[in-house]
Amino acid sequence: MLGLAKGLKYTLKQLSREKVTYDYPNEPLPLPDRFRGIQKFYPEKCIVCNQCMNICPTECINLTGKKHPDPTKKGKIIDTYDINFEICILCDLCTEVCPTEAIVMTNNFELAEYSRDMLFKNLEYLDENDENVRQVNKP
Amino acid sequence: MIRTEEMILNVGPQHPSTHGVFRLVVKLDGEIITEATPVIGYLHRGTEKIAENLQYTQIIPYTDRMDYLSAMTNNYVICHAVETMMGIQVPERAEYLRVIAMELGRIASHLVWWGTYLLDLGATSPFIYAFREREMIINMLNELSGARLTFNYMRVGGVKWDAPDGWIEKVKDFVPYMREQLKGYHNLVTGNEIFLNRVKGIGKYTKEEAIQYSLSGVNLRCTGVKWDLRKDEPYSIYDRFEFNVPTRETGDAWARYQCRLEEIEESLKILEQACEQFPAEGDIMAKVPKIIKPPKGEAFVRIESPRGEIGCYIYSDGKKEPYRLKFRRPSFYNLQILPKLLVGENIANMIAILGAIDIVLGEVDG
Amino acid sequence: MIQDMLQSSPGLGNFVIFFILGLVLLLIVLGFVTFSILAERKVMGYIQLRHGPNQVGGRWGLLQTVADVLKLLLKEDIIPKLADRPLFILAPIIAFAPSFMVLATIPFTENFQFADLNVGLLYYVAISGMTVFGVLLGGWASNNKYSLLGGARATAQMISYEIPLVMSVLGVILLSGSLNLNEIVEAQKNGWFILLQPIGFIVFFIASVAELSRTPFDLPESESELVAGYHTEYTGFRWAFFMLAEYVYLFAMSALITVLFLGGWMAPFGFLDFIPGSVWFSIKFFFVLFVYLWLRSTFPRMRADKLMEFAWKVLLPIALGNIFLTALIKSLFF
Repeated sequence: MLGLAKGLKYTLKQLSREKVTYDYPNEPLPLPDRFRGIQKFYPEKCIVCNQCMNICPTECINLTGKKHPDPTKKGKIIDTYDINFEICILCDLCTEVCPTEAIVMTNNFELAEYSRDMLFKNLEYLDENDENVRQVNKP
Repeated sequence: MIRTEEMILNVGPQHPSTHGVFRLVVKLDGEIITEATPVIGYLHRGTEKIAENLQYTQIIPYTDRMDYLSAMTNNYVICHAVETMMGIQVPERAEYLRVIAMELGRIASHLVWWGTYLLDLGATSPFIYAFREREMIINMLNELSGARLTFNYMRVGGVKWDAPDGWIEKVKDFVPYMREQLKGYHNLVTGNEIFLNRVKGIGKYTKEEAIQYSLSGVNLRCTGVKWDLRKDEPYSIYDRFEFNVPTRETGDAWARYQCRLEEIEESLKILEQACEQFPAEGDIMAKVPKIIKPPKGEAFVRIESPRGEIGCYIYSDGKKEPYRLKFRRPSFYNLQILPKLLVGENIANMIAILGAIDIVLGEVDG
Repeated sequence: MIQDMLQSSPGLGNFVIFFILGLVLLLIVLGFVTFSILAERKVMGYIQLRHGPNQVGGRWGLLQTVADVLKLLLKEDIIPKLADRPLFILAPIIAFAPSFMVLATIPFTENFQFADLNVGLLYYVAISGMTVFGVLLGGWASNNKYSLLGGARATAQMISYEIPLVMSVLGVILLSGSLNLNEIVEAQKNGWFILLQPIGFIVFFIASVAELSRTPFDLPESESELVAGYHTEYTGFRWAFFMLAEYVYLFAMSALITVLFLGGWMAPFGFLDFIPGSVWFSIKFFFVLFVYLWLRSTFPRMRADKLMEFAWKVLLPIALGNIFLTALIKSLFF
């Protein structure tokens, strides 16, 4: 009986303790800077080195480049850049290998959509995703 | 004339207490189980096969998803295996960060077990209390690695991030807090007569059986075998810390319960010492080539995960992908004894026994 | 007023009045059930460091249960193909009707009671025993293995615990010398029966938790073992009726404990008489209710075999001993 009484005392004490639940959709969750959310992509920084595409463990990144419109300059610029968020596991490896920090993580994580097609995010979407961008990207 | 017949009951794959997508086909005589057949594979993703086409760095995020309650140990086992093959010396600071992260993960994993086990037994509140503390750990690991469960934190040769400012202090503050909460847990559950009635003497097996069934971790130690790889085959820097290996003699669910809660305390001891010894500065990455190509050959390492011995076998033919990668997943091995334990028990005990084994389906199915 | 009407000659006018009165009580009870579910969720939420419902109906979530009930009424009514259709439909009604019938005899205050029966207590116990048929039929008719196991467990549990429940209350009947609930309250003028009958009270309380099949005796439903027990296959308003029965019994049982052991509507001390009886009744009533919720959020579930052992080997002998003791005390001192 003593054990039961101890348990009852413990739960009674909890009645007045601080609540631990968040008022989530109304108040945003505080997240640390390192949090890995939907990527932000800077098209102007990208040098089309294909490293992110190669390192991606789930092969969810697809990109194509085109020749630089300015004939005097060498190299390529980005043409299309798609991430398939159906299979992206937000593992951070693409930002880790990117030599120019053209792709970085943000703190946005709300990816729920009504249709699977909506989970294909293209260059425009990733470019416009410019809130809560991660400050420090390389260790 | 009363005619009775055996009833075949499908428990799972959708059932509140099978902890995921585990299916158990039980033959019932009334409420007494006469035969039990576990059916697994509903969460099989073929991690080992996928890994054969991936570079070693790419495999690490996949290991997060095996035992998703303690992803840090999984991260470690693959990195440790590759480091062993290549003979890489991991910097001191990185080792400490790894140990702190792993021990935090161990506590979090045992807390989830504690909460869900009590939920299986019908008590609803302990789950929330356990998750309150787990949430703090997860927040700390989130600050460190940038994710709440699938950390992808360790790399071959070190860790990805250094500890943020004030992080070590946070861990230090967490240790006494957690000790205080553990006392509350004992008050709430450990002395509870109803709880004791339900766990004492069920799911019993002997030392010999445990070894024959290749059980490991708490499932082995609850029978009195003092076998903990952190002590017996020290890896990383575990030989620098003082801690005990909790064991019990009885080998029932109650013994497993006690061992797990004591293990939380031992992990707290390790955390305390690791935070004290934490080097003020140093590298977090060893010098490793950009593309990791272990030499031709094979390696097998094993470490102590919260669920038991997790092993990693790599056969490399000198390429950047492994030729064969195999994980010894403790939950899978621990689950093997279940059909034997269930015969002759009733349904209520079935849940209590299954819960006490502490399986994670992501790990069982691979 | 009701006494006069009960004695008046039967007629259509009287029937209409009784019907309306019954309807009013039903609405009051439904209102109570609505808020007791909310109270349960709130209390459990606070114990579990959560806020509980706080979205629908202001920050206290006052309309949450109303919204839930509306949702249940709008849900598709599924009857499994292989279920025993007539029994499946009948079961929730059999389970619910007695729970509402027992309320008639409970004296809420001196004047607010529907039927002042001379065998009030017996009536309560007898009628409430019928619910188990509904549960068993529901479990059987669903043609589901989990339901069957849940129904069988429920039957075994409720029948076993009815015996200590009645036995423990015999002490109260001995002391008050009546089965009439009004007279039992009157008999507590000088001291509540919780003080005169502590053993009886404890046995009664434990047995009542089992009768209500709430944690730690919630085996019939035992979510983590039998999915949802006897109402696994029930959906929509049929399921709502099972739930309703459960909560109306919670209401009735809390009221009964207040009446039997806590002095009903009477003030604890004479000088507090200026506070009306209804207030006292509600205070005691809500305290009992809170204890039920408190137990639920603390304890794990008992095991089926231990549960039966507990009823027959522990509670029943104690209850019998209590009767003997009470009889001894009564013959020596009163």
